[in-house]
Amino acid sequence: MSDSWRKESVYRDGSLNYGRLALYAIMIFVAIVWGVPFIWMFVTSIKPDTEVFSYPPTWWPDEPTLEFYTRLFDSFPMMQWFRNSLIVATITTLLTLATNILAAYPLARMRFRGRRILLLIILSTFLLPGEILLVPLFLGMIKFKLANTYFSIAVPAAANAFGVFLMTQFFLSIPVELEEAGRLDGCSRLGLLLRIFIPLSKPVIATVAIFTFVRSWNDFFWPLIISNTDATRTVPVGLAVFVGRGLSMRFGVIMASAAAATIPAVIFFLLLQRYFVRGISTTGLQG
Amino acid sequence: MSRPAPPKAKHATSPWISIKNDLIAYAFMAPYLFLFIVFLLLPAVVGVYASFTKWGIIGQPKWVGLKNYNKLINSDLFIESLQNTLYFVVLAAIPLIVLGFLLALLVNQKLRGRNIARAIVFLPHVVSVAAVGIIFQWILERSSGLLNYYLGLLGVNPPINWLGDPDSAMPAIAITTIWWTVNGNMIIYLAGLQDIPEDLYEAARIDGAGRWQELRYVTIPMLMPVNAFVIPLTVIACWRVFGQVFVMTRGGPQGSTFTVAQFIYETAFVNFNMGLASAAGVILMLITLSFTIIQLRAMKVI
Repeated sequence: MSDSWRKESVYRDGSLNYGRLALYAIMIFVAIVWGVPFIWMFVTSIKPDTEVFSYPPTWWPDEPTLEFYTRLFDSFPMMQWFRNSLIVATITTLLTLATNILAAYPLARMRFRGRRILLLIILSTFLLPGEILLVPLFLGMIKFKLANTYFSIAVPAAANAFGVFLMTQFFLSIPVELEEAGRLDGCSRLGLLLRIFIPLSKPVIATVAIFTFVRSWNDFFWPLIISNTDATRTVPVGLAVFVGRGLSMRFGVIMASAAAATIPAVIFFLLLQRYFVRGISTTGLQG
Repeated sequence: MSRPAPPKAKHATSPWISIKNDLIAYAFMAPYLFLFIVFLLLPAVVGVYASFTKWGIIGQPKWVGLKNYNKLINSDLFIESLQNTLYFVVLAAIPLIVLGFLLALLVNQKLRGRNIARAIVFLPHVVSVAAVGIIFQWILERSSGLLNYYLGLLGVNPPINWLGDPDSAMPAIAITTIWWTVNGNMIIYLAGLQDIPEDLYEAARIDGAGRWQELRYVTIPMLMPVNAFVIPLTVIACWRVFGQVFVMTRGGPQGSTFTVAQFIYETAFVNFNMGLASAAGVILMLITLSFTIIQLRAMKVI
């Protein structure tokens, strides 16, 4: 694996030798290690009870069944959890986009008093472990009677500085000439943002949107403490509480629940892969 | 921010334009700053304040000075949670960084199918910790779990009681965490590798460098700026480990996976001792902060 000689000209034609064979072997091994848990989850979820614990493990059931899925959706409010997750993630994403785009513009393109210190304070929150916020947020939500509402789950997540940072970086890279041309045409600041910056920033806006959505969809600690009814509980919290209800030996239903939660995310990822990669590689933040 | 304009602002056309400019800038930022202050800055300040108080779920906070900290230092449970979390950081952070780097090297090779390999390794990134914890509970299951079956074929016998044995539970949580999150570091290192100018490798080759020398004298030094944020962010994330433990072991067996975040959760949201939980949160913050500063010092970033 130490082969960093990625541009070795002798190998560039793709001819095989032992070094490259070893690399292919390692790569296949890696793909198996990361791929198998997904396959195993899915296969278990369609095995009838009699086959779940079969030993040695079988990779396809003799009688595949969707029984666990019907049982899952019958006994647990999965659809309600999905709906809650969808609503929460949508609120967080829209709120994040609207506020972050507005905030990033002056941070990147205007000179104003307090800019440096403001940027410093915003960026320093990357190093802040969020646990310190949980108690005050929780008490505040209780005090204002907002516990168990979509608001309480969705809105605090929009304070995250990741999108502001990413969009400020991107706005900095937009050529001044474009902005000046717009100004000569009599555009206001807001007009410049709407007509020049936003159209040019579609890729980064998409990255922030997708990242925020997935982060919110998968968020666990905060939704766990602020929602304790099925009316607002999100999918991850529902899964965790559901497993905690003492079903831990019935792996068929449990794997069906994991698969039901995972399959939409996987499809989402396969469609939008490049945005994730860009989001992580430009900020180092991982949702 | 309400202080008079610094002298350097004088070159602007007139003070009025400069004030108007400031107002416009803050008007743009106002919605975000509102969220930032109400849901991030203020809770952080209140969290530190709460750590010096006795505070239940209802009623007013009562100032108690350093009493909470004193209690924590003398609490075996808290000290144990610190030790367990430190153990987890060692078990998980090092592989997350090293393996992240090695995987990036691998999928940066000109190999057929590397995009598929990248995508597969990246896939767990979009899966929630609840699902990951559930899947790995099944894979790590003692008698019918997949991992023990294959380890058995390799001669590991008797099967390991991964999540049921205090000695193996934390390594099991670490394995799960590595599978789940190493992809983030891989992607960051991959971007770093692709930013290294090709000329450097050519120059090294002209000087007669072999692969090892290229790795040691070109690749690794050029990735130092990447390390400067991968390492602190990975270590911080490991100190905060919560979801995996909550889903897979609830801190057991025998408290062997009981982490600081778990302590905070139980103290605040099961026992409603908000002051004590906040003090634990402050200690967690101080630990991650000092780790970050030491790391960046050691790497001569600051």
